[in-house]
Amino acid sequence: MLTTLIRPLRALRRALPAALCALLLAACATPLQPVALAPGAPTRAELVETPFFSDASHFCGPAALATSLSAVGLATTPAQLVGQVFLPGREGTLQIEMLSGARRQGAVAMVIPGTLAALKQEIDAGHPVVVLQNLGLSWAPSWHYAVVVGYDLERELLLLRSGPMRRQEMTLRTFGHTWQRSGYWAFVALPPGRLPASVAEPDATRALVAFERNAKPAAAVTAYRAALQRWPHNATLAMGLGNALYANGDLPAAAQVFRDAATTHRLAAAYNNLARILLQQGRAAEAKQAAEDGLALAGPLRATLLDTLRDIEVARPSGS
Amino acid sequence: MKRFQRTLALVLCGSMLNLSMLQSAHAAMVSTEEVARLAVTSAPDSGHARLAAVLARDNVRGEMERLGIDPASAQERVAALTDEEAANLADQIDKAPAGGIIEAILFVFFVLLVTDILGFTKVFPFTRSVR
Repeated sequence: MLTTLIRPLRALRRALPAALCALLLAACATPLQPVALAPGAPTRAELVETPFFSDASHFCGPAALATSLSAVGLATTPAQLVGQVFLPGREGTLQIEMLSGARRQGAVAMVIPGTLAALKQEIDAGHPVVVLQNLGLSWAPSWHYAVVVGYDLERELLLLRSGPMRRQEMTLRTFGHTWQRSGYWAFVALPPGRLPASVAEPDATRALVAFERNAKPAAAVTAYRAALQRWPHNATLAMGLGNALYANGDLPAAAQVFRDAATTHRLAAAYNNLARILLQQGRAAEAKQAAEDGLALAGPLRATLLDTLRDIEVARPSGS
Repeated sequence: MKRFQRTLALVLCGSMLNLSMLQSAHAAMVSTEEVARLAVTSAPDSGHARLAAVLARDNVRGEMERLGIDPASAQERVAALTDEEAANLADQIDKAPAGGIIEAILFVFFVLLVTDILGFTKVFPFTRSVR
């Protein structure tokens, strides 16, 4: 009985030092992947013109957002943003509302990859990056938004606008630890028509669809056009451009975009929206053709296309 | 009493508006949000899903008011969210990281001081990491 207890204890005693060593080693390593530098690439850069809004209380969210927006020509102050993004009961600002808050100021906010390489790419492109850090520990968190405005790879430093500090120098290692605890979350906010250098296609698409929701149609058109230049084969972006053009009252251009999307991507939604526009333009016969083509591919949109076909039949005297 | 009636009328108006939106969502143009959703799930746009989206928004609006936002601002803030974002917020408004506070809890003060000096954390502005 006793021996059965002692054996595992002995094993534990042997394993414990090894486990502790492993833990320490893991804690020492920097979580950030080093950047592979192309020959002749700059090892430091700083966006010195980035404005600074000092904050020593709970308003680092509004302050960081105002910093990043003002830096790209959308002048705002933290005071204007508090009512839009700050959550008193949580004494802070949630990530989702940082993005929606940026959109309410007319910017497109895109989440970028959580890598040092992406941060460098954005700084090189002149875009300050808002990051979420957990300055404390996972079990005693201190969530904090700061803005990355520069890097110095030789001295292994990142430069930040952070809380009350206009120019914080933070070692890559410490930054890596604090950023890792937020899941490496970062975003870049830019006026419509400009894109972050490092953004991945799905993140850009999600951000643009969200932007269209409350944007002026003309701004959404500009934003979708820029993204389609980079990702010309993205069906969702094409649909977005069509819908934004339609909302802007440009029916011929919208019809053209939907027609192209319908044939290239074989999208029932594109046929449906094309049919709706043709119907509105009084071209019932063409509308019926488009709706029928769409119905053949409809799948989950079957009910929508049947509705469209019915409206076309109502508008169009039978047999004509 | 008058105030109660006015509130009741407002609530009823709101719910009717929601209902009419539910019905009309079928018609006309397919929105980009819907296209994006279909690209991921390919599930039909059931009335159930739309109802869930409306409820999630209502839920988030209520939670925001509970957390100290006035009703008009809460309404605007919810309107700025996509369905996906509203659903996420409805689940985690109390748990999600809220950047803003330096929670210098005394209990862990010394732990954080040491970890600051080691460079694992950066809670205190006055610490300098060992390397």
